[in-house]
Amino acid sequence: MRKRFGVLVAAFLAAGAACVTALGGAQADPGITQRTIVLGGTFPLTGIASSYAPIPVGMKVYFSYINARRAAADKKRGIGGRQVIWKYYDDGYNPANTAQQTRKLVEEDKVFALFAGLGTEPQQSVVNYLNQRKVPQLFVSTGATEFGANYKQNPYTMGWQPDYLAEGTIYGKYAAQNWPTKKIAVIYQNDDYGKNYLQGLKAGLGSKASNIITEQGFDVTATSVAQQVAAVRQSGADVMCIFATPAKTIAVYGTMKALRYRPEEVILNSVSATESTLKLALANADAGTIDGSISVTYTKDPASPVYANDASVKLYKQLMAKYAPGADLNNGYYYYGVAKAYDVVKLIQAAGKNPTRASLLKAAQNINWVNPFLLPGVKERTTGADRYPISQVKLIRFNDGVWTEFGSLIEGRGT
Amino acid sequence: MALRPSRQTLIAVGTMLAGAVVIVLLPLVLSDTNEYRFAFVGAFFIAALGLQILTGYTGQISLGHGGFMMIGAYTTTILSVDHGWDDLATIPFGGMIAGVVGFLFGFPALRLRGAYLALATFAIPLALISIAKKYSDFTGGGGGKSLTRVLTGHEAYTITWPIAGVLLLVAWFLLRGRLGRAFRTVRESEIAAVSSGVNLTLTKTLAFGISAFYAGIAGSLYAITIGFVNPDTFQIDLSILLLTGIVVGGLGSLVGVVFGALFIEYVRLYASDILDKVQSPFGVGLDPRTAGAGAVVYGVILLLILYVAPTGVAGLIQTAFRTFTRRPYTSESTEPPGQVVPTRREA
Repeated sequence: MRKRFGVLVAAFLAAGAACVTALGGAQADPGITQRTIVLGGTFPLTGIASSYAPIPVGMKVYFSYINARRAAADKKRGIGGRQVIWKYYDDGYNPANTAQQTRKLVEEDKVFALFAGLGTEPQQSVVNYLNQRKVPQLFVSTGATEFGANYKQNPYTMGWQPDYLAEGTIYGKYAAQNWPTKKIAVIYQNDDYGKNYLQGLKAGLGSKASNIITEQGFDVTATSVAQQVAAVRQSGADVMCIFATPAKTIAVYGTMKALRYRPEEVILNSVSATESTLKLALANADAGTIDGSISVTYTKDPASPVYANDASVKLYKQLMAKYAPGADLNNGYYYYGVAKAYDVVKLIQAAGKNPTRASLLKAAQNINWVNPFLLPGVKERTTGADRYPISQVKLIRFNDGVWTEFGSLIEGRGT
Repeated sequence: MALRPSRQTLIAVGTMLAGAVVIVLLPLVLSDTNEYRFAFVGAFFIAALGLQILTGYTGQISLGHGGFMMIGAYTTTILSVDHGWDDLATIPFGGMIAGVVGFLFGFPALRLRGAYLALATFAIPLALISIAKKYSDFTGGGGGKSLTRVLTGHEAYTITWPIAGVLLLVAWFLLRGRLGRAFRTVRESEIAAVSSGVNLTLTKTLAFGISAFYAGIAGSLYAITIGFVNPDTFQIDLSILLLTGIVVGGLGSLVGVVFGALFIEYVRLYASDILDKVQSPFGVGLDPRTAGAGAVVYGVILLLILYVAPTGVAGLIQTAFRTFTRRPYTSESTEPPGQVVPTRREA
């Protein structure tokens, strides 16, 4: 009996193996036909990080536009005649949900590739799975350094925006150059995110790193930052750096006002340097405390009068009005989504007439173009050993409720 | 001469056997993704089973079981990632550490009842999330830790469900015996329990310990299935969901927990998909991805279930079962008038 069972199993295995070999040769990658290409991503549409929910909507707006228009080059709608099917699901910023929704996208929706998945930890939770399944996980929406740095281990994973370390370095270089004798104090979130910035700041300061006279870390879960702000005030620093998430940034400004503390210069990390955050900060503090704060940006600001007549900002507003009527055009996250979707389309075009996952990955390592939704002059570039598409930024200063660019483009690469 | 098993025992054994057959056969029809989802159902089932022992049988409410799951998950992750253990070997330790913490928590909980106990237990996940973020060298902090092994849906299913089956059997035997009687007496009346010689302290703390042990095992399986652990994985709603799960399944029913676990997994995560499917026949065109749409659907389904089946799915099935098996021309109750009919029956 047992013997016969063994024979049966062997026969099945042999038959199965034969089928696999027969199919293996000419099989195309999932999610792509002559008419369609399926792309997917997970985002926090609800829960603690739901303020990012406009990003996939912005992407959808741009894909709708691509699907409707005829390309100048081949006179076809979509990408090379393929309609983009954009599927995105809510993960509530909870890795348990990211794991399930990502498998749903890969195994049930059979996406060709994943784009723009949001959040350091949620995306980290599926890196192993996606690289094992050889599914591209590109342009993730997080600036954590690891998504560009671990490419040898995780070749299918890549980020998009400038990473936190590079941004910190830019602040350090700027401070070393412009304020060589000023004393610097840092308030940072005591985790990988905040420490990434602090590490970059020190690297950028180089020999001037001793200008940092105090580093005040606060815990993510802390309810108050009063102790840290008071310590900075006590130290008599001329420059204060805030490396925090939006909610804590607002608290820092509020405490500064309460303690009547106004350092000469304030540096604020880009994650918190959005219109909406500073609007809330203004309500908690006052213009005198916040005005003059410095940060960086890499996209055009749809709310800024400087770009009111810019062709791509105009296109953005036009597309939003058509495909997402009623949405707040000044919300930078919609714009971020549109800007990112532009690169998604460009990348698939660069992957050849009949893109495969392999050719897409190859294209992702050979990015060399200009995205009109980013700041003028920003060049996106990647190589086999450099997987950070955007690395140039411009300094911006906050005054009278708007961010204004100043200085020239700064290269954060190679830092 | 052996005792003849009661009708109730036969039904329970029959149900469990049928359940076992279903669990063995399911992988034949499920896709790998669905097996993956069922692995989550299995983990929720085990955690809710633990909560059922505590809340459904002993009458002690807990909003802290997400925290006990977290202890199990972190035990598994730290042992397997940082100390090179085989991930499966860590599962019992996840349960045991959570069990010890649960047992110890049982002591301060002795003084609290009802809503006060619920609030005190609510502090467990809140505190643990902060602790995990604070001691980042040990836990990986907010950034969390990735496990090395990535499971297929089938692997996760075949790891989770045999453990769930064994734990169900253990719970059943436990609750049938002396300890189960003590639990139920405490639930019905603490004064009566004490006067019948039940050691209140031991019974309550033991219930907490056993319950947390179950949640710890569930947490270990949860971590292995996800392949990643960080504090956000155990957001505070997890504890509330588990409690919702056992209410939906039916308080005081072990088999009902299965329905609770299915509810936790499917209704929560796929509420917006459900909205998408339900609204089209009515010609409603709401965007299922609108913020909060899923939560509203979840709430509506929860209310509907509690309206149709106030005693949970298990209660509904029991009522239906009685309706169909009742002999004609007999009164509904065979008990003499005046006798109290137990409202909660054990599966």
